Amino acid sequence: MSSVLEATRAGAQTAPARRPVGWLRATVERESVFSWMIVTPPVLFLMLFLGYPFFYGVYLSFFQREVARPATFVGFGNFVKLSQDPIFWLAVKNTILFTAVATVLKASLGLAMALVMNQDFKMKAFTRAMLLLPFIVPTVLSTVAWQWIFDPGMGLFNRLLMISGLAKTGPSWLGNPTLAMVSIIMVNTWRGLPFFGISILAGLQTIPTELHESATIDGAGTWGRFWYVTLPSLLPVIFIVTTFSIVITFFDFQLVYVLTGGGPANSTHLMATYAYSISMGAGQMGLGSAVALSMVPVLGLLLAVLTFYVRKA
Amino acid sequence: MAQPAHRKPTRRDFLKVAAGAGAAAGITGAPWVVRDVHAQQKPKVIVFARESSYVKNFDEHFQKVLMPAYEKEKGVKIEYQIQAAGGSAVPQLVSMVENKSGADLAWVQQEWLYRDALVDVSDIAEEVGKQQGGWYDEIKSLSVDKGKWKSVPKGNIGQLMVYRKDWFEEAGIKKFPDTWDEFLEAGIKLKAKGHPFGMSMGHGFADNYSWMYPLLWSHGVTVMDKDGKKVALDSSETEKVIEYVKRLYKEACIEDCIGWLDPANNKAFLTSQISCTNNAYSIMVSAKRDLPEMGKVIDHALNPAGPKGRFHSLVPVTHGVFAYSKDVQGAKDLLRWLMNPKQYRPWIASGDMYFAPYLHGFDKVPEWDIEPRVKPFQKVLETGKLTSWPAPANRQHGEVVNRWVVIDMFTKSLTGTPTKTAIADAVAQLKTIYG
Repeated sequence: MSSVLEATRAGAQTAPARRPVGWLRATVERESVFSWMIVTPPVLFLMLFLGYPFFYGVYLSFFQREVARPATFVGFGNFVKLSQDPIFWLAVKNTILFTAVATVLKASLGLAMALVMNQDFKMKAFTRAMLLLPFIVPTVLSTVAWQWIFDPGMGLFNRLLMISGLAKTGPSWLGNPTLAMVSIIMVNTWRGLPFFGISILAGLQTIPTELHESATIDGAGTWGRFWYVTLPSLLPVIFIVTTFSIVITFFDFQLVYVLTGGGPANSTHLMATYAYSISMGAGQMGLGSAVALSMVPVLGLLLAVLTFYVRKA
Repeated sequence: MAQPAHRKPTRRDFLKVAAGAGAAAGITGAPWVVRDVHAQQKPKVIVFARESSYVKNFDEHFQKVLMPAYEKEKGVKIEYQIQAAGGSAVPQLVSMVENKSGADLAWVQQEWLYRDALVDVSDIAEEVGKQQGGWYDEIKSLSVDKGKWKSVPKGNIGQLMVYRKDWFEEAGIKKFPDTWDEFLEAGIKLKAKGHPFGMSMGHGFADNYSWMYPLLWSHGVTVMDKDGKKVALDSSETEKVIEYVKRLYKEACIEDCIGWLDPANNKAFLTSQISCTNNAYSIMVSAKRDLPEMGKVIDHALNPAGPKGRFHSLVPVTHGVFAYSKDVQGAKDLLRWLMNPKQYRPWIASGDMYFAPYLHGFDKVPEWDIEPRVKPFQKVLETGKLTSWPAPANRQHGEVVNRWVVIDMFTKSLTGTPTKTAIADAVAQLKTIYG
């Protein structure tokens, strides 16, 4: 049987190569056409499931549109209304603060986590897998667990404070406006840390060891190697991860919705939760869309500043 | 044996595979193909969406008794969609209305947001009212819009003071406080003994409104006037109530309650962190089931009275039929059947009267004797008001509730904003909302 197969294959190999027949085949073979054919389905998918809601949101933001009622064009009326709404401005401030602090924490702790994970130690693979857990567990589920951790009487934090004798009674993590903001930043940092850690770790492993060796020969110590070799090599990775993180953190909704609902006294209301409560809660689809749309320029500005800073650096 | 050499896949191969997979997915997933095949075999289905009940028997009775009975009697299948309790139902309902698809019949929470999407069910509501002793007047302010019933009231989830009788007695309080001042005094005593009150003030939808609005009303304060045209919150009495809440929070409550969502006070009560809160009787249900010792020492009491009387806040459960439904008549038929005393009374009883009917025919039924500690929940109907009271329960009111305008007036003043500024901010918001 094998001789038959080999004879067949040999025949096939000696036969002259078949030439494309027809203009369609020839067109498909062209690099420019084929690449568009590959790209078109995901682009269409994105346009349908991201582009359509986005442009529909833009459209809605110019209308007074209540649930189950026809829309009335109001131009920039919704944005004017928002500009006079103190809770909207509080939500903007909260969102920027939340995003900035959480991102800085995630980036610095993520870098530290990656540096540690890049060392050789026992059960390294297991530890790396464990560190991914916060990223894997569904946010709503982990946030419910955090609710228990923040519980004033039964929660882990206050129990530790009381057992260690640092406090007689622990603070109210979600009842105090400042601590509530600290708490949601803490949970966001915990959840987003593995994303930074693993991505930076991947970046660390691409740095050639020769660079470190050369730096060592030139007299660089641990800090010198980190500052002049490791960090500059990691900057592109850190920039990309930070950019993604800013976008994700800026639009965070679930953990605030589950933990505080934006309270107490709107102290943890983010733009996403405020947009949700106005549109899906109060039924003001136009006004809610205007809040959501207002996030775009703020986010754009943040990203532009970051890009400018990194390029300059 | 020589192995056949692997040929590198070409672009053409990729396209063939992709086209084949697409065609296969298209054929198997084509909705018209599947529906046509099964349409003739499946019985008629009415989709009924409801928030899950804290009383397990209630949902079980519906699924095990009512659903098979309806299918047997009418040949129509009910698809019971249970939505998670705790505030997620309204967005789902809004989404259904916006997409014009989903349930045919539903517990239409906050129906003021989407009344235009509900059909007229006056024929059913009037028939039920006649059959079962007539409707309580207050619920008509919600279900009747421009002279037409847009929903049929199912029942009220009573909200009362839930307290630890044993701890109150230990503190020397034999009878639950009758006035708000006595309530504060009791709270101070209980907190001193390590058993603070936990009055929800966060961004929830029931346990905060259910004591803060009655507190305002009992001091003669309403949010809007009767016509819903003029803001009525801006008064010296509001200042007094805020000052009262400041004392209550500081001297009698657990600090955390300012940020509580609806499930938080249940958790705090059941973990013995608080001695009193305002809630439905779900706390007692959970305690009797999981913590029998605690279950014995829990009791309920009416809200304390203020200078202008005693008030309670209604948490209405109403059922409506969506105009987008492909089978409006089928959904109405099901609603009529469910509200027939033959089905309705055992259904209500299965929930241990957790849903108190807004029908006078149920005022003195023996079902209320199922548990003496449940009986006060019937009294809620006598002094119960919608949160919009005395103004109409309309969209603007929905915005006030969902943006926590009044709740945040209190919490802002508790977190450092001067009382007058907190009131002024709330009034400004109300004026913007009501136009």
